[in-house]
Amino acid sequence: MVEINLSFLLRLLADGLLIGFIYALMAMGLTLIFSVLRVVSFAHGEHYMIGGFAAYYLLETFTGLHPLVAILLAGSVTFAIGAVFERIFLRPLAEEKVERPGEYAILVTFGLGFFLQYLTLALIGPHPKKAARYFDLPAFELGPIKATAATLKLGTIPLSATRLTAAVIAVVLMLIMLYLIHHTWLGRGLRAVSQDKQAAAVVGINPLRMSTLAFGMGTMLAGMSGAALVPAFAWVPAVGAPAAVKSYVIIVLGGMGSIPGAMLGGLIIGVVEALGTGLLPDPNRAFAYRDAYGMLIFALVLLLRPRGLFGRQE
Amino acid sequence: MKRVDWRWVLTGGALVLALSAPLLLSGYPYWLHVAIVAYFYAILASSWSLLAGYAGQFSFAHMAFMAIGAYGSGLMGKYWGTTPLTGIVLSTLLAGLVGLVIGVLCLRLKGAYLALFTIAFSEVLRLTLNAELDITGGPNGLDLAPLLNTTSRVPYYYLMLALLLASLGFMYWLAGSRFGLFFRSIREDEEAAAAMGVHIVRYKVAAFVITAMIAGLAGGVEAHYIGLITPNILILGQMSIVIAMAVIGGIESLIGAAIGAILIQFSLELLRELGNWRLVAFGLLLMLTLRFARNGLIYPLIERLVLYQARRAVIEGREQKAKQVGEGA
Amino acid sequence: MELEVRDVHLHFGGIRALNGVSFSVRGPELIGLIGPNGAGKTTLTNVISGVYKPSQGAVYLNGERISGLPPYQIARRGVGRTFQVTRAFRRMTVLENMLVPAMALHPAGRRQEFVDRAHEILRFLTMDHLALEYARSLSGGQQKLLELGRLLMLDPDLIILDEPFAGVHPKLRETIWEFITTVHQQGKAFIIISHDMETIFTLSQRLLVLNFGQLIADGPPEQVKDDPAVIEAYLGKEE
Repeated sequence: MVEINLSFLLRLLADGLLIGFIYALMAMGLTLIFSVLRVVSFAHGEHYMIGGFAAYYLLETFTGLHPLVAILLAGSVTFAIGAVFERIFLRPLAEEKVERPGEYAILVTFGLGFFLQYLTLALIGPHPKKAARYFDLPAFELGPIKATAATLKLGTIPLSATRLTAAVIAVVLMLIMLYLIHHTWLGRGLRAVSQDKQAAAVVGINPLRMSTLAFGMGTMLAGMSGAALVPAFAWVPAVGAPAAVKSYVIIVLGGMGSIPGAMLGGLIIGVVEALGTGLLPDPNRAFAYRDAYGMLIFALVLLLRPRGLFGRQE
Repeated sequence: MKRVDWRWVLTGGALVLALSAPLLLSGYPYWLHVAIVAYFYAILASSWSLLAGYAGQFSFAHMAFMAIGAYGSGLMGKYWGTTPLTGIVLSTLLAGLVGLVIGVLCLRLKGAYLALFTIAFSEVLRLTLNAELDITGGPNGLDLAPLLNTTSRVPYYYLMLALLLASLGFMYWLAGSRFGLFFRSIREDEEAAAAMGVHIVRYKVAAFVITAMIAGLAGGVEAHYIGLITPNILILGQMSIVIAMAVIGGIESLIGAAIGAILIQFSLELLRELGNWRLVAFGLLLMLTLRFARNGLIYPLIERLVLYQARRAVIEGREQKAKQVGEGA
Repeated sequence: MELEVRDVHLHFGGIRALNGVSFSVRGPELIGLIGPNGAGKTTLTNVISGVYKPSQGAVYLNGERISGLPPYQIARRGVGRTFQVTRAFRRMTVLENMLVPAMALHPAGRRQEFVDRAHEILRFLTMDHLALEYARSLSGGQQKLLELGRLLMLDPDLIILDEPFAGVHPKLRETIWEFITTVHQQGKAFIIISHDMETIFTLSQRLLVLNFGQLIADGPPEQVKDDPAVIEAYLGKEE
């Protein structure tokens, strides 16, 4: 009999939830792009990767720069890349000037990912970079809760300060995004275009501008996810692919274009991965298969319920 | 008067060049190796263009089928002691079988969903090959016995060339048969094709099985030639290279994709000192080709040549007819 | 040829698209299928051609139950159809478009025979000179004709046309009219969906009227014209 240790289980659960918030943020970007442009960006992982490097180099170059500012700047960098790419390569798609639009969208975003990955490799090489911890926790002890600079212990469950920070940043950014989408003119424009392009154009919204903004904001969210996580992982140019595949899993699970779906999907994937890793007896193998759990879910969802948890029927 | 048909002149020239390459490159074994690898990629790019360009199934699992051919044969050799030849034959069949399963699973998936599913399949396979260290050797790779009992590269060169020509010949025959016709009708409009009596399921799955077998065969031969394979052969970057070759060559043309693959593989080698920058340029070229030359860079040249010949044939036919009429009167 | 639609119901979730439709076609009739928007005309077409499976009831062709068969099987058994929007295979030549149904129907047939037959049909449609053009380079009207030509290559006993006259200029309407009457005289049955009352009343021998997924009238045009149920369906109930 395998003895399942409750505190071990809780630890895995906590880990999964924390990382799940970042996944959710990244997937939110992908889903924003999909709902407005009807395009799945196959370069999402590369924006995440570039966001991480941008934050790392900003903090290296300008010592004393506040990490939050670095994250915002990194987001601006990927926003700019996304917006420029959209303007040059996806605009004809929005204008319906492209033959075989589905195929074009897949290939051209895939091409962007390829380009960005090798560009980064050419610029900074394959050696991993790791940013220093953004914030130290204040040391305190309150009953079972104990904090040191690097970890927060809830009873026997340790939470790493880096991941905790990333999760908090992700939650704050998601709340800001939800506010933007539901309570501002920008959000109204985006939602209008995602529901009916022609009707939106009739009421004076420029769908082309909304497409550029949506793509830029989507890539910005990916960039900020990377920037928030860069202290947690060894960062290399290939770091984006597994993260991107997770976002794909999440948006398919949550339903293409559904923001609550993306958020819930992120948490589900985070937890499933963590539990799956923890419950396999051989730790090496367990770690190697971590990314496979998500894909198993992915395959099942695609085959059994292609529109996901919250997707609309097409 | 018989005029020169430039299509045959060019084809013949290319064949003579390909057949005499071992002589021309006799002092440069490295370049012979480059040519072998280039042909390998040409098989992959052209078979992918049959699947994606003809049948409209944008699968990202092509390198996974290639890897099944490679690992299948390697593992059978290691555990069952099969000879490389038996291994290659069996693993080609295995690739076809997996292609059948993937094809059936993908029947209801379209566009981005199909791309996502096949990426996931490919990644799971890569993770598994990495994780099952004890069986596959994991990231350290798997050693394979040589296919041919020789230290020379020349026999391998001719083998890979023959494989390329045979698979191109087979695919052209297929594309010209009702398979090609139905593949394209499915790509254009599944529902309309079904309304015209086309058995959609059968031909979609057939496209997966056939191209998976070609990729698996190429993978098996290449693996026994190189002698070592690692799971890195199916990272997405490798798939991107094959896709880029097909797109730049011309995704709707088997020969365009093959030529694209050969030219690109050689240019990548020629520009080796540029390091990763050549792939940067290559990625940019891929995007620009898609944006501004949707049919690729090589296929339009071929098409122009073919059209030119066809038009001339029509004109000549008319002239001849006019002459006959004149004579008859 | 005998088609029998027997008590067909079709529900999508809570929506009842078809609600107990029954009728039959015996021999080469020329039937018009009309009804207000959303009455279920295209849905009925999709049920007959196998795109949808009825939730209840069945469709029989020459005594054989065809509902439940995949669309390609129904096409091979002799039911041909067009779609509301033109759906030519755009990146294939006109000739290749024509070959698809012939080769699907006769896998062992000789290609040259099909090519000859295709040219013959294209001549009948006065578009033989376009045989080697890509379908996407044709005008909308020519693409419509190509679809009709493709249908003839399938050589069905029953032809269902979904809005053949919609958005068509007068000259082409004449050509399509001629096509229908000629092919009908050769012994093929037609079911034609149309919004164009004048055309459909003149053209068809028998009219079926659908409303809210139910067949409210079935008879010769002159009789249907005065049917109070039909007038009500189109004009609304008079208070």
